[in-house]
Amino acid sequence: MDALVEITDLKKAYQTGEVTFEALKGVSLKLTTGDFVAIMGHSGSGKSTLLHLVGGLDRPTSGAVRVGEHELNEMNETALAKFRRAHVGFVFQFFNLVENLTVQANVELPALLMNKKDRKTIRKHSDELLQRLGIAVHSHKHPWELSGGEQQRVAIARALINHPTLLLADEPTGNLDSTSGEEVLNILSECHEQGQTILLVTHDPLAAARAERVLFLHDGRLAGSMAGGDAKSIAHRLTELK
Amino acid sequence: MEAVWQKIKADIISRPLISVLILVTITTSATLLTLALATLMNVSAPYDKAFEELNAAHVWLYFDRDRVGPRDITRVEALPGVVESTGLRYSAMSRVRVGDAQVWVSLRAVPTETPSVNRLLIQEGRDLEPYRAELLAGKDLDDIYRLTVGERIGITREDGKKVELPVIGLAYNPMWDTYRSSQPPYVYVSEETLRELFPDGSTWDWSMGLRLADPDAVDETVALIEETLHSDVVESHTDWRDVKESAVFGAQLNFVFLGAFGLFAVLATVLVVSSTIGSIVLSQFRQIGILKAIGFTSPQVVWLYLGQCLVLGLIGSTLGLLLGFTLSPLPLRSIAASLATPYHPPLDPSLAIMVIGAMLGVVTLASLGAAYRGARANIIQSIAVGAERPREKSFQGTELATRLSLSPTITLGLNEIFVRPFRSLVTGFNLTLGVIGIVFGLALGETLDTYKENPALLGIVYDAVVTREEASDGKMRYLLETAPGVEGFYSECLVEAETPAGQTFQVRAVEGDLEKFPFKVDQGRFFRPNTYEAIAGQGLLDWLGLEVGDDIAVTLEGKENRPITWRIVGQYPEAVNAGQMLMVSLPTVSRLVKQARPDSYLLKLSPDYDSAGLKQHLDARPSSDLNLILVEEVIPDDVLYLELAIFTLSGLLMGIALVNVFNSSLLAMQEKLRTVGILKAVGMTPAQVMTMVGVTAGFLGLLATILGTPIGMLFTSGLMNVLAAGYGFGRVSVTLRGIYIVCLVPVTILISTSGSLIPGRWAAKRSVVSVLRSE
Repeated sequence: MDALVEITDLKKAYQTGEVTFEALKGVSLKLTTGDFVAIMGHSGSGKSTLLHLVGGLDRPTSGAVRVGEHELNEMNETALAKFRRAHVGFVFQFFNLVENLTVQANVELPALLMNKKDRKTIRKHSDELLQRLGIAVHSHKHPWELSGGEQQRVAIARALINHPTLLLADEPTGNLDSTSGEEVLNILSECHEQGQTILLVTHDPLAAARAERVLFLHDGRLAGSMAGGDAKSIAHRLTELK
Repeated sequence: MEAVWQKIKADIISRPLISVLILVTITTSATLLTLALATLMNVSAPYDKAFEELNAAHVWLYFDRDRVGPRDITRVEALPGVVESTGLRYSAMSRVRVGDAQVWVSLRAVPTETPSVNRLLIQEGRDLEPYRAELLAGKDLDDIYRLTVGERIGITREDGKKVELPVIGLAYNPMWDTYRSSQPPYVYVSEETLRELFPDGSTWDWSMGLRLADPDAVDETVALIEETLHSDVVESHTDWRDVKESAVFGAQLNFVFLGAFGLFAVLATVLVVSSTIGSIVLSQFRQIGILKAIGFTSPQVVWLYLGQCLVLGLIGSTLGLLLGFTLSPLPLRSIAASLATPYHPPLDPSLAIMVIGAMLGVVTLASLGAAYRGARANIIQSIAVGAERPREKSFQGTELATRLSLSPTITLGLNEIFVRPFRSLVTGFNLTLGVIGIVFGLALGETLDTYKENPALLGIVYDAVVTREEASDGKMRYLLETAPGVEGFYSECLVEAETPAGQTFQVRAVEGDLEKFPFKVDQGRFFRPNTYEAIAGQGLLDWLGLEVGDDIAVTLEGKENRPITWRIVGQYPEAVNAGQMLMVSLPTVSRLVKQARPDSYLLKLSPDYDSAGLKQHLDARPSSDLNLILVEEVIPDDVLYLELAIFTLSGLLMGIALVNVFNSSLLAMQEKLRTVGILKAVGMTPAQVMTMVGVTAGFLGLLATILGTPIGMLFTSGLMNVLAAGYGFGRVSVTLRGIYIVCLVPVTILISTSGSLIPGRWAAKRSVVSVLRSE
């Protein structure tokens, strides 16, 4: 099967004054359609950087990222923005909702940015998503009126509105209590069951256990992989990375 | 407090562009304020300076030659309160030819040695030398005919022969008054030259200037002279206060405009400072939380922002004061130029205190609200959220925009206006001030053009004027009736009138094809010929406290004529003598004043008239005593200077508005960088980010145009009518072409949007990752 995402020898360095920090030191991996892959690693291992590069939020120092037909290295800012809105759904640790827009407006925003003319279809789809994620009752509220778990559900609904090729989740449970975190993970699992390709960045073994495959990043390099499912084994493997 | 000062310095230096823009705004306002105040405080200073330097007379007496003798002059000089006199001065009326024009002048003998009282100011060339046939031309003659030193002008002698004398200089007489247009231009010669030209000394007019112990006792002195001598000895007199009033009128006009624009600029500064500091506080909300967490008290936070403004305010107002002081001679130029005396107002400490104090007060008021807002910030929320909670309700217009299926970039841009309503309000108001300034400039220009194209609106209903000297009225009528291109004419005779209370003014007595001329009557109707009906200028009505429908009783041309009463049936725009004139039917005047004969003939010309043919028909040869003047330019060149100045001031206001849009947009972008990062993360392109920012600014520009255009028209109309009332002119209708209003919309939107361009671009280019990582 052809890879949906193909990452080849990806490197990313950050310059802070005279100090250069290499966040990624040559990472290569492939994801196929329908995969649910978790990336684990300690703080500073480069996992969020990898996610940003796959999502076209940042540009690598070297190496290549291909998502479907799109060679991200060859795209300019505008093309990357169009790529993100059409093919990628982001779920962030701090939700990153637009504060002065209602829940429904937040969810519909990426679809509206695509200048889709059929507003009714967009509204119907956003209603369905809000219903499915159990937040329809909050559709006219603003983000600050919701709990953390509810806000993250809104963020997931927003990420799914354009039927993305790839759902990228960066520590989606990192800012939630355990119950809310569990609910969010359940939603991601449901999405995966419906065929959604997911790349999850986390340092929580329980979250990683939901994935089919877990990749370990250490010091900017891939340091192994294992099947998901068993949180204890994942936690043990993570401890071994230290 | 040292910590606060350290932070103030750091904040000013870390935002160099915004600090500089605030500084520029404050400097501009302080400059305009300095100019307005310096003009107000020194409006009469150039005249006063010249008056004292020339030891000018406080009153100039024109004697009735038949009733006065040398002993009377001595008695006047000896009266109490009279300090010095010019001695008896002789003059004679003579016709001179300057270029193509013939003009009656007063040929005045002046001492060739410098007199003690009322010296002439030689503006160009040199003073008269004894026993030389030469002349000095008055500044008033030069203003009309643009004389050059060395030019020769023809003077008609007593025997009717013409001699040419060289102009050896141009002179300003501090007691020559334009008021009521009754004084002819002056030409100065030595007494020997006057005697050569007019050998019969008995025909000379006598006059004398006096300096008084109390300069304000002119009326009392004249009354004392009339009491001491004979009541008719003094035919008329010139009061130095009237001359001064005429001389400073132009500068007063400058003060009105500068004052209005200065006020606008100060208001704009309030808006710029309040919106900028408000935006800075909002964009630094997290920082304020951190500062409070590490021990800053609320008053220290207030001082932090207030201090930044006061530092910039102090620097800006000092720079503005110095710049305004440097430019302060410009508004006084009209007086200083007429006196040819460069005048620089002194740097008055009270002016400096007023300007700096006013600007610091304005800056404090403008920044205090925002500073308190920062000081009240909740520490936890500030650090955790990094922003104030936005308004709970989004703008209804945004909902409408969504329903209308407008692009989300437009919807988000519109929503931004209402997320921070105060900031939007001050930015919009600032733009509105700019629009008001532009509308003012356009409407003024348009109105002046309208009056220029249709001089009838100014009360100039004729196309040409012919004046006669020796030719008879009958000959004139015959000539005009048979003249090519003349569709109609009326004749005019100016007569002096005096009310029972002693107020004197001029009456236009007219007769002829009046119905062929487009007389404009603002109130009431035109008078019926050959009746005791009159129309009056607004200035006369205001001066005498009369209204249309009232009667006015006067004596004409001296008290020997019996009084006459006219009923005022209308008010017309009178362009001269501050509107203090009456227009009546000539036959009614002729019945009372036998010598009332028309000396001016006002012509209506056919559209295809031939000026050369008309001149030839009227026999306007050098020897002829007829003068033809075509009405082509009724608005002086000074108006162009005024229009230019107003457009410059409007440009300054628009510049300040642009600074405000820029500052507001930049700070709004800093404040909502995180939101922009999120929007970019979910797929907003850089162009869409810029569009969103541009929509906010553009919509404010649109609102500013909608609001600013009618306000600008009202402002222009109000100011023009205040000025027209000052001239005694009556009402002025202000016009602005629809095309200008239509063009103003895109222009304002463009200006406003361009102000947001750089901040929008800056936000669009920021890396999403760096923005979101910093959260």
